[in-house]
This record gives sequence, C-alpha cells and structure tokens, in this order.
Amino acid sequence: MALFSAFQTTFLLALLSLKTYQSEVLSEPLSLAPESLEVSIDSARQCLHLQWSVHNLAYHQELKMVFQIEISRIKTSNVIWVENYSTIVKRNQVLRWSWESKLPLECAKHSVRMRGAVDDAQVPELRFWSNWTSWEEVDVQSSLGHDPLFVFPKDKLVEEGSNVTICYVSRSHQNNISCYLEGVRMHGEQLDPNVCVFHLKNVPFVRETGTNIYCKADQGDVIKGIVLFVSKVFEEPKDFSCETRDLKTLNCTWVPGSDAGLLTQLSQSYTLFESFSGKKTLCKHKSWCNWEVSPDSQEMYNFTLTAENYLRKRSVHLLFSLTHRVHPMAPFNVFVKNVSATNATMTWKVHSIGNYSTLLCQIELYGEGKVIQKQNVSVKVNGKHLMKKLEPSTEYAAQVRCANANHFWKWSEWTRCNFTTAEAAPSEAPDVWRNVKSVQGHCVVTLFWKPLSKLQANGKILFYNVVLENLDRPSTLKLLSIPAPANGTELTLDQCSYQIHVTANNSVGTSPASVIAVSGDPGNKEVEEERVKGTEDGFCLSWKPQPGDVTGYVVEWCERPGDPLCDVQWRNLGPNTTSTVVSSDAFRPGVRYNFRIYGISTERIPYLLEKKTGYSQELVPSDNPQVLMSNLTSYSFTLSWKDYAAESQPGFVQGYSLYLKSKAARCLPGSEKAVLSDDSICCKYKIDNPKQKTFVVENLQPASFYEFFLTPYTSVGEGPQGAFTKVTTPDEYSHILIRITLPMIFSILLIMILCYLKSQWMKEKCYPDIPDPYKSSVLSLIKSKENPRLTIMNVKDCIPDAIEVINKQEGTRKSLTETEPTKPTYLYLLPTEKSHSGPGPCICFENFTYNQAASDSVSCGHVPVTPKAQPSQLGLLTSSENGPKALGKNYVNSLGEIPAGETNLNYVSQLASPMCGDKSSLPTNPPEPALCSEYKTQMAIPMGLTSPPSITLLDEGEHDH
Amino acid sequence: MFLLQSRASCRLRESPEEGKVFTEGMLMNEERGVVPLLLVLHWKHGAGSPLPITPVNATCATRHPCHSNLMNQIRNQLAQLNGSANALFILYYTAQGEPFPNNLDKLCGPNVTDFPPFHANGTEKTRLVELYRIIAYLGASLGNITRDQKVLNPNALSLHSKLNATADIMRGLLSNVLCRLCNKYHVAHVDVAYGPDTSGKDVFQKKKLGCQLLGKYKQVIAVVAQAF
Repeated sequence: MALFSAFQTTFLLALLSLKTYQSEVLSEPLSLAPESLEVSIDSARQCLHLQWSVHNLAYHQELKMVFQIEISRIKTSNVIWVENYSTIVKRNQVLRWSWESKLPLECAKHSVRMRGAVDDAQVPELRFWSNWTSWEEVDVQSSLGHDPLFVFPKDKLVEEGSNVTICYVSRSHQNNISCYLEGVRMHGEQLDPNVCVFHLKNVPFVRETGTNIYCKADQGDVIKGIVLFVSKVFEEPKDFSCETRDLKTLNCTWVPGSDAGLLTQLSQSYTLFESFSGKKTLCKHKSWCNWEVSPDSQEMYNFTLTAENYLRKRSVHLLFSLTHRVHPMAPFNVFVKNVSATNATMTWKVHSIGNYSTLLCQIELYGEGKVIQKQNVSVKVNGKHLMKKLEPSTEYAAQVRCANANHFWKWSEWTRCNFTTAEAAPSEAPDVWRNVKSVQGHCVVTLFWKPLSKLQANGKILFYNVVLENLDRPSTLKLLSIPAPANGTELTLDQCSYQIHVTANNSVGTSPASVIAVSGDPGNKEVEEERVKGTEDGFCLSWKPQPGDVTGYVVEWCERPGDPLCDVQWRNLGPNTTSTVVSSDAFRPGVRYNFRIYGISTERIPYLLEKKTGYSQELVPSDNPQVLMSNLTSYSFTLSWKDYAAESQPGFVQGYSLYLKSKAARCLPGSEKAVLSDDSICCKYKIDNPKQKTFVVENLQPASFYEFFLTPYTSVGEGPQGAFTKVTTPDEYSHILIRITLPMIFSILLIMILCYLKSQWMKEKCYPDIPDPYKSSVLSLIKSKENPRLTIMNVKDCIPDAIEVINKQEGTRKSLTETEPTKPTYLYLLPTEKSHSGPGPCICFENFTYNQAASDSVSCGHVPVTPKAQPSQLGLLTSSENGPKALGKNYVNSLGEIPAGETNLNYVSQLASPMCGDKSSLPTNPPEPALCSEYKTQMAIPMGLTSPPSITLLDEGEHDH
Repeated sequence: MFLLQSRASCRLRESPEEGKVFTEGMLMNEERGVVPLLLVLHWKHGAGSPLPITPVNATCATRHPCHSNLMNQIRNQLAQLNGSANALFILYYTAQGEPFPNNLDKLCGPNVTDFPPFHANGTEKTRLVELYRIIAYLGASLGNITRDQKVLNPNALSLHSKLNATADIMRGLLSNVLCRLCNKYHVAHVDVAYGPDTSGKDVFQKKKLGCQLLGKYKQVIAVVAQAF
C-alpha cells in the first residue's frame, strides 16, 4: 500500500512538472483550481463547512482568488445556492467556507461543488474560471438509524420574529403523519415521499422553556418531537460611558440589553476594544468594566463595547478625551472651625487631578433639613469657606463636593460635617397670659407662657424670672425664678393691683420682659355668649372694635374643654384687628369650644369683651332625652324631658322630633308622615324650640294604642334611633265610671247597709203590716180641704153586712200569669134593702198580703163572725211589735174566744178564718198563722152591687177542690 | 451529580459509609452524598451483564450495626415512595407541556427496556438483591432527570422538590437494603445497571425518557412495595 502511494505521488509530480513545462512552453494560462474539497456538517447550526486548497501556486506566491461555490439539494441539477468567495490564497493553504442551510440538513441530500479563478490585478492573464470540482454529496439521512420517524432540527435556537423550517423524515410513506405546534396542527409541503417540510414565519417568543413541536403517525404509538427555543431579540447595551477618578483607571459602565429570556445557552459576553491602542479586554461583569489608562499619557480614547450571545452581536462606540471624563474623588479632611453664635469656617482638602488643574467645589449649608446657603469655591488642594449669618445655638450640616473646573464632567460625592453654633441671649419676650380667680378674698393668678421658639430662645432656656410689682406700692417688688421647662405658675395675691414681668433666661443672658397687669377687679362682667360656626379651616371670630385706648386683643380658649386642666390657649392680636381665625389640630368634631375675647388696656390689664361658643363640626345628638309621660286622657297625653342636657350634645340642639305611631292611616294636624329607618311609617311632630321641654300630644282616639319616640336634632341630623314607648289611651267613659258610678255604688251600698241595719224601723215607717189610718196623710188632706169635721171611721160604727170569701182552688199550681185574679166573694150578712137604712155605708178592706193558703181555707164555708170585735183582738191586729208569729198565735187564740152573735159590725176580718169545711175541726186543726193569714185591702162594698151569683161560690166541687 | 452509563458493579466493602443504617430523618441531612459516592466508587467501565452476588461464605462487614427493625424501615420507605410516585409522575408530565399530558401512553409508557427485573415470589434475599438493583437504577435516573429539569424547567419548583425528596428516600432505602443484605445474607457484592445517560440527547428526548422512567417507576414501586 505504501509502495502504491509513493508511486502515485511520483506520478502526479511528474505529471504536474510536465504540465508546467507545457504551459510555459505553450504560453497557455495557468489554471488554479480548488482541490481537496471536503464537506462536513454541523447539525446543531445547520451548517455545511467546506475546506479546500490550491496546489498550483508557486512557493511564497500569494494571489487573490475568487471561488464560485454551488450547492444543490436532493439532486445536483437543483442548485439552491451560488456564491463567489474572494480571498488571498497561498500555496497549499487550507481555505474554509461555511454555509448555513435554512432547511435542516437531515431533511434532504445536499451536494457541493466549486471552481476558482485568479482575481488579482498583478496577473490579469489568469482571470478565468478553473474547472468545477466534482459534486461532494452530504447525505445525513442515511446515518439516522432505524426509527420510524424523525423530526428536525433538534433544539433549534432562533430569535423572535425569525423564520424557521422544520421537517420530518418518515421511514414509511404509508403512514399519515400530522405535526403540531402548541397543540395546533401545522400544514407543510412534501419534499419527497418520506419528507415533509413546515415553514414557520415570524415565530413569537412564548416561554423561556421552549416550545414543543411534535409529529405523530396515524398507526402505531410513534410520537417524535423537538423543542424550538425562541429568544427575544438581543438588544444593544445602553448608556455606555467611561470616566476616571484618579487618571489611572477608566471605569466603563453600561446598561445591558434585555435578557434573551431563554435558558443558559444564551449567556451574554461583553468585550471592550480601544482602537487607538488596539487593546481589547473581555469584561468579567455584565454591566461594567475597568480599563487601565496607558502610562504614555494617551489623551483620546475610542472604545467599542461588543455584546454577544449565541445568536447576535451588538456594538456601541464611545470617543472621548480623558481629561473631560474626570470624576473627582470626594473631598476629605472636612472640618468646621471657629464656630461662634453666627459664624463658622469650613476647611477641606481635595485629591489632585493633575499638576495644573483646578477644582470647583460646591458648599451647601443645611439647617433643619433644608439648604439655607449654597456657595461655589475654586480650589487647588486646600479649600476654605466662611459661613455667615448663622442662627445661635442651631445645628447645621455643611457639605462639600468638587468637580473639574476646566472640563466639568461630574460632581464628586458629598462630604458632610455637622456643627452647632454657640448660644446667645433670648431675642424675644415670652408670650404670657393669665387666668385670675378670686378665692377667699385673695386673687389667685395662674400665669401661662409659651416656650420660646428656637430662633427666639437662641439656646437652651434654663429658667423664667417672674417679677411682681405692686402697683399700689410701687416700691414693692417680688422676684420668682421658675426653672424650665415650666410653662406657667400660680400666684396667690391680695386684691391689690399687680404688674407682672416675665423673662426667659439661658446661659448667655435674659430675654426682654413680657408685661401683664392684674387689677383688683377681675372685670369678668357678664357678657352674653354668642354662637360661632366652625369650619374645616377653624373658627372665624370677630368682635366689635373698642372705642377706648386698646393696646391689643387676646383670644383665649381651651383646647380640651372637658379636661379640668383645659389646656389654655391664647392668641395676641394687634389693636387694629377685629377678627381672627382660630384653628388647631386639637379641635375635634362634636366638642363645644368656648372662646373669650379680651381687650388689653394701656395699663396692660385684660378685660373681657365677648364670649363665643361653637363646634368645629357639629354632629348628630349622641343620646335622646328620658321622656316622662303624664296627663294621659282619652284624647291626649303630655310628654316632658326637663332633665335633658342639650348643652352636652355634640351640636347645637335646634329642636326635637316626636315620632308617633298609631293605627290611624292619617296623621293628625301638626304632624306629618315620616318613614323610619326600618321602613315603618309614622307621624312626626317637629318641635322647633330647643328650650321647649314639654309637649302635649292631642287629638288622639280613646282606647287606642300609640307608640312615641322623641329625639333631638342638630343642624346635622337627629339623634340615635331609640325604642318607642307604648301608650294606650283610656276609654271615653272610664272617667265617668270613676267619678260618678263609683260614688253612686258606694252610696247605694251605704244606704243598703243602713236599711239592713234599720229594716224594722223602715218597715214600720214605710210599709207596716197594718197601716195606721191615723197616720195617713190622705186623711189630713181631706180634713183640711173638704170637711174639717170628717174623722176616721170607728170600727164600732161599722155594721158588717157582708163577709168576703176568698176562694181559691187548692192543688192547682199555676203560675202567676196563668192564675186568674181571684175575685173576692162576699156573703151578705144583712138584707140588701136594710143596708141602705143603716147609719152609713159599710166599708170593707181587702188585704192581699194574706197568705194564699189561708185565703183558700177561708173560702171553704161560712164562718161565724162575731158582731163585735174584741178589743183585745184589735189591739193585737194593730200591733207591729210582735211580728207575724205573735200575730198568728194571738189570732188563733182570739178566734176561739170570739162568741157568735156578739158582733154588730159588718167587717171582713183581715185575718180570715183558716177553717176548712167543718168548723168543728178548727180547734183540733188550727192553721199555721203565717200560712193562713191573708191580708185584704179594706174596701167599701155597696150593698146594691152584691149579686146572687156569689152563692155559686159555695159549689161543692170547687170547695172540695 | 453522577452520570453513569452502561453497567457497573458495586463493592459494598469499599464504601466508607458501609453498613450504616439510614432512617428517613437522617437521610435528609447526613447521608446526602453517600450513595453517589458509593456508586461512583464502584463504577466500572465496560461492565457486561450483572455480576453474580457474593458467595455465601464471603465476609461482609459493616461499620455500624444495622437497625433492629430494618425490614420495617424498608417497608415504610417503600410505602413512602409508592405513595408519592403518582404525584411525581403527574407533576413531571404536566411540567413538560403538550403533547405529554395527552399522550401518556405514547410518550410516558413504562417501556424501559433495560429496567432491572423483580420477582415478587422469590426469597427475601433474592427480592432484596433485586430491590437493590432497582433502587440503584432509579436513583441514577432520578439524578439525570433532576439535572435536566433544573435546566429545562427552572421554574417548576414543586417538581424539583418532589424529585429531590424521592431521591433522598431512595438513598436511604438503598443503604438499608445494603445493610440487610450484608448483615443477614452476607452479600457484599451486587452488580447494578443504570439507564441511558440523557446528557447527549435532545431536549424532547430528555423529556420523553424522564417521563418513561417515572411511568415505569410508578408501576414498579407499587409491585415492590406490595412484595415486602
């Protein structure tokens, strides 16, 4: 094999020598063709790398040549790329050229060939193309393996907005293969039966973890995919700048472009290149880089910052002069010296930036956080500045910074120094006010003063001096020293007038004195209080100007009215001022503030002028009054809330609202319908007078149910919704019942009790059993008017001519309505004709009070009636003292004793005989006196009117019955 | 991270932590780097089929005594792995994006060809040896998956956490199995095999191999946990 190679080399050399010789001899142009063409692939970058050489060149000869390269796809006739590549060629130099394919190289077979030509002006005769090399074939598909499906390119990395070509290679063209991007099917073009190509245009950035693109076959479980990484466009660095602080090192900074938003393979690198020196440095940091200034005093610098990642390279340029980019170091050794109450001197040093350079330094003086002085000073090495017009005993901060005075670039950092000026005597008198009270014949004066402001105090106030000067005895002075930080004191004085001087003292001196006078008369005359309306800006107070000499006015108020200490505040105002606005952060809504306005006399004595009261913001009443109800009638009731303290409410009470609920649909006059928060409807009475503490609810319905609720209202609204009080009006007649009926019942009861107790007496008086004719008032009337001679008929003068027989059937029980009125039946004891000849008409009394049974018995038969009544019998009958029992008893006895034929008076006895049938049975069967006695009213019976039918009364049947 | 290709043999005696008993608590802190070291120490280029286990008469010494309740610990660790395997699988394929969640059978099927076998009806010694091989295989594969996912899905923190927790338990389980084999059965040498290294694969293939491995793990660990 080695022998064959040696022979071949020898043969070629001989052939080449022969050819050179021929060309020289024949003067034919020399053909410089590319040789040893090799093609390799880079799948990751989808690149074809070509390398070749040109052998025909003479030693040490360099020629500029151009090479024409042709690339075909699938078949050699399908040339897809032609490019002329020019370069300087040396003998046997390996030349390289790369080409990036848009189609993944795995998707199709590629072929490459090339030819060359001399493109050098020195050898114009060689300007012609050599022969083409043979086609070099690149076929990756054949080395893929035996998987049924492939998708390319793998892990492709592109910029957002690029165009990407994807393909799949299938081993079986019978399978129907579909490909998807983000779940959406892609449609491609068939490159050959087994290869399909998809062109993705303007691909977007989706996520930094890439996008899965996959293909799957209809048959089998084959899914193959790739991940496409789309990065954001790599931006160029921004704000590229370089500067030096010491003229030895340049510090270049920039803001890196936005991150590619992809995985670690897209790491960025930054390179700094200076064109004048030709130096280059790879920056270790992403946003800054240091560059050593060359010792040869290079003044100008031209930098190129190159940012690079896998996909793109970005560059920015910067040209500058070194002395124009000096950023001085911060000043050092900064001190403040010679500090007095109003002046101080500041000194500092600066780092030199060259032998002849001057620095411009800026000094700022800060007081209470604000810049109060600003000054620029030119400095070589040491700086000095005098600060004037300072305030005593005040903390200051002084700071200094510097910049290049010749070519300003940047200020250095500040260097700061704090100091405090010395103290001075207080410049202002303290603001003093007083409160005067008279206690047990003494004048108790409470002095208040406000602490001096920092500007006024000029140092730390150590104590206050209070000098009391008795105006009545001017030679008498009394000195009190009150240590700070007291802001007042209490003095007990006699009734004498005093002038009080107050001064504030610090370590340096005393302030001017503040003078206030106290008179023997406190002067708190009664002044009517006025209302004032507060706003968000405070209380606007105004007063009438005083005609006399007034040196000023003082407005006094308490910021905490409910607090015993009250926190007295005051404001001094000039003599020409008649109004002011009092505002305070301490003012709270719903709190009543009282203001007093004093005038200050020329003797420095304050006297009260006006009183004002108001709320910074009125609120609705906080509570409702306790309402008492009285005078409840059928038609009205009265409400009263006299204990309600309207002054303690968080607003001026303007009146009261009374809500009345009733079943009536309409509201009474004086009220109007209102809807409550619970949507219930009621009637509302509005009481506009806040001082009115009673109200009469009228025109109500008797025996009706009402509910009422009373709440005050301010200008903001009504008080809280509370519970309704229930009330029911009484019935219309109930008062009559109480006033009339009850006394009547009581009287009746009393009468009844009396009647019961005196029943016997009453009976005798009013309805005796046997009325006494002598007591009859009728008789007296007759006597007096008609016949004064008329007397009462004596029983002895009366000849009875008939006996009344009262018949009543026994055994029958009928009701009173059914029973026929019993008609008395009379037995005529004397002939009728004779009856007219008698001394006078016979009078018969019938008394119906007799027992019915007795009357029945009487009707049974004739009763032998004695012509004359026994005196004893009459006496018994008229007796009312023994009662019915005694009467019955006597009656029985008397019947037995009365002899027949002795009576000559036609008289129907009121005690009818109880005999029934046989008179012989009388003694053996005497009737019960109570049962058998019957009282008949006495009546005269005319003789002529008696009729025979009375005989029928003797009918046996009825009798037996 | 340890990346092992082909097969390797494991010599227990050479391990500096040989025989130490692991519990779940210890594993998180003390022994995190032991198993990789163990495996690296025993890695052998060009190893062929798994070597036979150590002869019975071979000596097998452990530095620390094994826990008396070792089998219970092994069971508990297996139960713990079995309980979290499905969640890990779901977290994984969800993090990979489409087409993985909807093509589990095609992309995440448990068709891992060289996965160590397991015979549930074998003797305890056989089962322990097979378990050792399985856990060694899974541990290495989980290491590869964890490495890949930290690059491919840097924001899938729950997945990373689950992968790390699973790997920790596996390291403890491997140590406990080793202790048991050594102390009771005097097995000092078990050949182990590892899955393919994914470092040279394309991203889609990495995702797919990880999904297949976790699918297989979910399937196998259920059987193994049941067998013990």
